[in-house]
Amino acid sequence: MTRIVVTGLGVVSPYGAGAKTFWAGLAAGACAIRPITLIETDGFRSRIAAEVPAETVAALGVSPRRARADRLALAAAQEALADADLTPRDRAGAALVVGAVGGGMLEGEEWYWEETRTGRPSPRIKALRSILPFTHADTLGWRLRLGGPKETVVMACASGAAAIALGADLIRAGVVPVAVVGGVDALTRICFMGFNALKLLDPDPCRPFDRRRRGMSIGEAAAFLVLEDAAGSQARGARVHGELLGAGMTTDAHHVTSPHPEGEGMVRAMEMALGRAGVSAAEVDYVNAHGTGTLQNDRIEALALRRVFGEGGVLVSSSKSLVGHTMAAAGSLEAVATLLAIQHGLVPPTANLDETDPEIPFDCVPRLARPAPVECAVSNSFGFGGQNVSLVLRRFAG
Amino acid sequence: MSPPRRVVVTGIGTVNAATAGGARALAAALAAGASAIAPIRSFDVGGCPSRLAAEVDEAVLAGLIDRDAARRLSRICRLAVAASRRALDDGRLDPGGAEGAGRALGIVIGTEHGDFRSSEEFAAGFLRRGVAGLSPMIFPNTVMNAMGAHAAIALGARGPTVTVNQPTIAGDLAVARGAALVAGGQAEAVVAGGVDELCAPVYRRLAELRALSPMGRPTPEGCRPFAPDHNGPVLGEGATFVLLEERSAALARGATIHAEILAARWSNVPVAPHTAPRARRDPGSLVARLLGEASVPPGAVGAWYGSGNGDPGVDDWELSLLAADLAAAGHAGPAEAPRSLAPMFGQHGGLGALRVSAAALGVAAAGGAALVHGIARGGCRTAILLGRAA
Repeated sequence: MTRIVVTGLGVVSPYGAGAKTFWAGLAAGACAIRPITLIETDGFRSRIAAEVPAETVAALGVSPRRARADRLALAAAQEALADADLTPRDRAGAALVVGAVGGGMLEGEEWYWEETRTGRPSPRIKALRSILPFTHADTLGWRLRLGGPKETVVMACASGAAAIALGADLIRAGVVPVAVVGGVDALTRICFMGFNALKLLDPDPCRPFDRRRRGMSIGEAAAFLVLEDAAGSQARGARVHGELLGAGMTTDAHHVTSPHPEGEGMVRAMEMALGRAGVSAAEVDYVNAHGTGTLQNDRIEALALRRVFGEGGVLVSSSKSLVGHTMAAAGSLEAVATLLAIQHGLVPPTANLDETDPEIPFDCVPRLARPAPVECAVSNSFGFGGQNVSLVLRRFAG
Repeated sequence: MSPPRRVVVTGIGTVNAATAGGARALAAALAAGASAIAPIRSFDVGGCPSRLAAEVDEAVLAGLIDRDAARRLSRICRLAVAASRRALDDGRLDPGGAEGAGRALGIVIGTEHGDFRSSEEFAAGFLRRGVAGLSPMIFPNTVMNAMGAHAAIALGARGPTVTVNQPTIAGDLAVARGAALVAGGQAEAVVAGGVDELCAPVYRRLAELRALSPMGRPTPEGCRPFAPDHNGPVLGEGATFVLLEERSAALARGATIHAEILAARWSNVPVAPHTAPRARRDPGSLVARLLGEASVPPGAVGAWYGSGNGDPGVDDWELSLLAADLAAAGHAGPAEAPRSLAPMFGQHGGLGALRVSAAALGVAAAGGAALVHGIARGGCRTAILLGRAA
């Protein structure tokens, strides 16, 4: 069985650029959810989000003529490749799997808004060339000279995690030795307006697992990982961040926006991932939960966690309380958070958690990061359409 | 290391501008060879530089979906649900029945534009009426995986549901990824293919951006892949899926096997987005590598299907890449250009699955091997090799 390791990490998050900056923010338990500056918010119930700071975007070294999401993705993927220290030859055969949802919609919306409001053709029509999600993969594949299999997967909020699982499959099947995988999403009006319309956004920074939680907070980010065949990475002396032991991908086939009431698909995803990883639930020290902060998600995820790990059987926290729900980036961003938690022996906290909901019988690491030996962890990502992806990550023992 | 699982095509379902149904309906349409491209009827194209498309008849679509479901689903989701259901019926696979109990049925859907109609309707509601104009019912459809989600619910598919976004070769990529899921054991069976619908704003903007025939050229509008006067693609719409299964499972349940997927791969030729530079070679020689892996000499390939859709950039690049790959494999290549189905069905996300379906039906009837090749602006490349199931 081919073992798969992570040898490169790259992040652009609401804390700023770089995986180190991301970890510093998580470890400090700093909530990056603030009033929105990118789009108009008048009249909406919730007017906050976790944006990537303007000064960070400006300093990414990526042309401002590109769509915002392309800029975030390119910077994060470049960092991951530099971290992995791959040669051009390695890159030429590397796969690229990008999880995306919004594409360049932020700029596309500016064109549409202008034309609709003025009734005149707008020169912003060029923005339409980058509006679809596949543009990210085409941009990355070109700029980073990646010549292996390239694909863009759209699996709603599970996209980034799915990209990791699908990239790992390509390595496991022997198609490629290296895969650049991850997710990206920039804030868009449609996303902001849509979750407001569904009344799923908390007017205040989200409080996953709290008894008084009122919804989620959206965010934006890009996070990429370099996956490698373990034997190859060892042969070239690469530094390893951790091992991807297994992944599980399932569908509820129940409802487009509501998870299965008993978390059936979530349970299967976690059990499938653990089964493929060859580890028991008892060996898992920490779960980086999907943990959106909506009433329904947190309750049902807790139900599923209880079925897999037993009541209180594992430490659980939500990174979304710190950096918002970064949509297609969330799965890969949280996989990075999980790997860094393993590396540092420190579990990132759930911010804004004052009183844990009695229906969530887990230690959800309220407010402060907690030192804890973490050898093996699970990262959960669930999305619209009943899409469930679970990843099992472990410290690499060689 | 255990040998890779073999993948076979056991069902075909399609709803397109020329026909709707299973393998038999598609075979009849392919034999007739009539083009479904005609002047657009469903929306006004006055003042638009392009006027042609291959449209799905509303009455046909309405007859394929029950009225309750039709009310709940957007049009593109109706197309996806109707065609994926037909693929499952064609393959006589019931994921909910005793035969299929415990099966992990996956879905892989390729699309180029997704449900843009819903995105536009959602945004227009806000621009007309402000916050009160936002529909929580429409918003979920704006996410590109909505078609896969609805298809999974309709089919009871509880394995992985993957949506891939890709121009020109969305359906090819979905079939290749679906085959990989079955071969790798992530699913026992996968319904794989693609879907797109015609949508007035998308059509008009693409025409304005000169992405559709006649692309600002003086020659008449039309879909003429690989022809000297090719001047751009003509859009189509519809959904087409193939049912892929692990071979021994398909044999065990007595399924009709149309063809075996001997090998399926995809790659990237690193070029700038939206470009198709004819001179750029594929250093990985995808087709040569694929044929080598399958131990099928190029001369044994009896049918070649290509993604050429009349876009001069894509057509020329495809011919050039195939010639280079076949030369690398020591073969002169096919004497003629690969067969394009774009003139029959129009360019849309389901077209790649139509190519795979046509190739499967062809090898089932005539034997030999068939290769389905695809290349898109931006460099994504696919190759799927099919052979008659032994």
